[in-house]
Amino acid sequence: MLWFRKRWKAELPFHMMALPSVVFVLVFCYGPMAGVSIAFQQFVPTSGLFGSEWIGLDNFQYLFSMPDTKRVIFNTVYIAVMKMIAGLVMPIFIALLLNEIGKKAFKRTVQTVIYMPHFLSWVILGGIVIDVLSPNYGLVGDLMDWFGLPRVFFLGNENWFPYILVSTDVWKEFGFGTIVFLAALTGINPALYESAVIDGAGRWKQTLYVTLPGILPIVVLMGTLSLGNVLNAGFDQVFNLYNPTVYSTGDILDTYVYRMGFENLQFGVATAVGLFKSAVSFVLISVSYLLAYRFANYRIF
Amino acid sequence: MAVLMLVAVACSNNNAGNSASSDSPSSSAPASASAAPSESAPAVAEGPLAKYDPPIELTTVRHQNSGVKFMAGEDWDNNIYTRELAVQLGIKLKNNWVVDDLQFPKKLSVSMVAGDLPDFFEVNLQQLQLLVDAGQIADLTEVYDKYASDLTKRSIEESGGVKKDVSSFGGKLMAIPLDGGGRTDAQFLYIRNDWLKKVGLEPPKNMDDVIAIAKAFANDDPDGNGKKDTFGLSLDFNLFNGWSGVDGFFNGYHAYPFNPGGPNSTGLKLVFMKGADGQLAYADIQPEVKTALGKLQELYKAGAINPEFGVINGEKSAEIATSGKVGMTFGATFVPSWPLNDMVANDPNVDWGVYPLVSADDQPVKALSNGIVPTRYMVVNKKSEHPEALIKMLNFYLEVNYGESRDEEYHTHTEGDTVFNTFSYAPVQGGFASTNIDDGQAVIKALDSGDPSALTPTAKVYYDNILKYRGGDRGQWWYEKTFAKGSAYDLLFQYQEGDKFATNEFTGSPTDTMVSKASALRDLQVQTFTRIITGESLDSFDKFVENWKAQGGDAITKEVNDWYAQKHAQ
Repeated sequence: MLWFRKRWKAELPFHMMALPSVVFVLVFCYGPMAGVSIAFQQFVPTSGLFGSEWIGLDNFQYLFSMPDTKRVIFNTVYIAVMKMIAGLVMPIFIALLLNEIGKKAFKRTVQTVIYMPHFLSWVILGGIVIDVLSPNYGLVGDLMDWFGLPRVFFLGNENWFPYILVSTDVWKEFGFGTIVFLAALTGINPALYESAVIDGAGRWKQTLYVTLPGILPIVVLMGTLSLGNVLNAGFDQVFNLYNPTVYSTGDILDTYVYRMGFENLQFGVATAVGLFKSAVSFVLISVSYLLAYRFANYRIF
Repeated sequence: MAVLMLVAVACSNNNAGNSASSDSPSSSAPASASAAPSESAPAVAEGPLAKYDPPIELTTVRHQNSGVKFMAGEDWDNNIYTRELAVQLGIKLKNNWVVDDLQFPKKLSVSMVAGDLPDFFEVNLQQLQLLVDAGQIADLTEVYDKYASDLTKRSIEESGGVKKDVSSFGGKLMAIPLDGGGRTDAQFLYIRNDWLKKVGLEPPKNMDDVIAIAKAFANDDPDGNGKKDTFGLSLDFNLFNGWSGVDGFFNGYHAYPFNPGGPNSTGLKLVFMKGADGQLAYADIQPEVKTALGKLQELYKAGAINPEFGVINGEKSAEIATSGKVGMTFGATFVPSWPLNDMVANDPNVDWGVYPLVSADDQPVKALSNGIVPTRYMVVNKKSEHPEALIKMLNFYLEVNYGESRDEEYHTHTEGDTVFNTFSYAPVQGGFASTNIDDGQAVIKALDSGDPSALTPTAKVYYDNILKYRGGDRGQWWYEKTFAKGSAYDLLFQYQEGDKFATNEFTGSPTDTMVSKASALRDLQVQTFTRIITGESLDSFDKFVENWKAQGGDAITKEVNDWYAQKHAQ
């Protein structure tokens, strides 16, 4: 008992320090969860959260009966998975390359420059991407001309559009991911490299047998965390880049629901979609966590 | 001038086909409008402008755009309207909150959920319907009859009573319409006269001429730079829009489709016309639409339409046009002020002309106009103790802006080069749809006679600026093309005189099926139209019609006809 009281006393300041964030999470994350009930209501703003009529799963039924829902879910998963993979591989690749660079100044400059787009919103980047990819006036079109290639209408072409989404997303975010992996690289014990050199390992072998295993836990962690995003293909980005001609391959759940629901005050359907996405993400995160624990022996908590 | 500019900028946002400047009081009462008010009467307690004693306090909520400026020391809670309403009517205003235009509908929805509605506030047609169904707003029939001044009644009941009809539910007046009644969304043809000269063509007399001009503009190097880098007809992904839409192109073929395609459009502003069988039918699925689409396809194939049109929005298409790449566009009255004025001001060689729509055959052309239906309404909370206060404030607003005691300070205030749109501070703004046309006609007369003495202060501003333009100030160009002879509003006046409007017969709020299906149907439509223009077989139009009907269109048509029957049974 005494031991407990002593410890409690010692830890009290830490608990007090954590208190505000706990309150914040309760108020801003758990409180609004009551709004989930809207998914099961014929929600009318004037009747409020408790006065609206309960309609069970009608909103979900409506969602899945809409003609394009299947295609849209496919697009969402397809684009999101490509983004997850590219968003994992590219930063690792760049981090490994940067790690090999001796000149500090050059390394830092590159790091900063590639980090930059992360801070810009898609409203701005969308405008830039549209200009750069314009077949009439765009830089890319001019370049392709110069190489004697035909100009491609990237943003107006259904086949190209998803890949444009993935590549521009990687361009925006890989700098940020790189920093995480660079940090992980500095955590590797230099003694391991020394012994590898003594064993006769070259640069390539060192990377293969020391560096990669060294950052594997971080890679697994990042991969696990991103799995929860499998239904988040990036509303901001798609919304700022898409257009009616590429709905068939570029339309994702969020943009679809935005067009179907928000403008027409269909709060119930919009909430149903949100809940559906959360449920799927929850399952995926749980599964990937279990897998990460079992195969990489990695524990987040 | 800033007023019209503001409205124009608002219109530049994608699908602003509707409503343009009809609600702007920049325009003031017609010069002949001395028929005005009888309400300069003494302050009887019951009068339209009677003062509350002791004063009352009313709550409201406001929305603002970036164009609203305040004089030093003033704000939403302290300006000419809050002060004068307190002094003259005994009404103290309290703004519960003020947010950005774009956030306003959402924030209001939150207030609805929280049951925290102010005494009076602005809503759109859908929210109005919602509030009426929920029984949360006051019936204004009685207070309107009792308190509305003659000027107010004239404003609310103008244009054959459409504004009042749409605001009434089951014979009860549930809201005060703030705009509507006008035709400012009707389209014209804007053509680069300097390019016409260059390619040796005359202004169009029929649609074949339009097509010939568009092709010549694309292929005959009208900008003389030796490159094939120009387009004949401006277009963007909205397809239908007050700027760069092809509404007017379709009108030339007696087709009246309107369903803007941008990602922000609702797909709810559908046009229904009366068919030969007396039933209302969706305008966008008529055979004339197919004909016009075929012609657009022909233009696209000839390189007269920007191949990127399916990807760019209104701002982008404006940028391309004003950088000298496009020689012709369809558009509404605001086009001279935005986006063309800056281009003309900066380049003395540029000469944009405005022309009336032309027909494809010997039938007269009619311009589609949907702006007659109001989009903004004022309602009073059922719990408010003073439902008549809204009417009184509107009486006040119209009196000081359009009545005998009008005072420019309530409309604009000028300090040096800065013009403050004081009218925008008013908690309730109304107006007359015909003011811009009337002002324009008065200005034309004054220009002919050289005598501006009969002009209203607002029209005098137009007059002065037109003289400035003619004196060499190209920055004032848009006044010339908006109000002078042969300008947009002069052409609108001629449309009106010649009864050249095609009007949407459906003026109700969105039906149930529209709310649930319209977005998907809009996607279907805009994709089909875009694909046909870019070269897909015209036959896919027939498939679109079938799909449209099957995927909810038939139900919508039935609901619309039920609405129509019910309305005319009343």
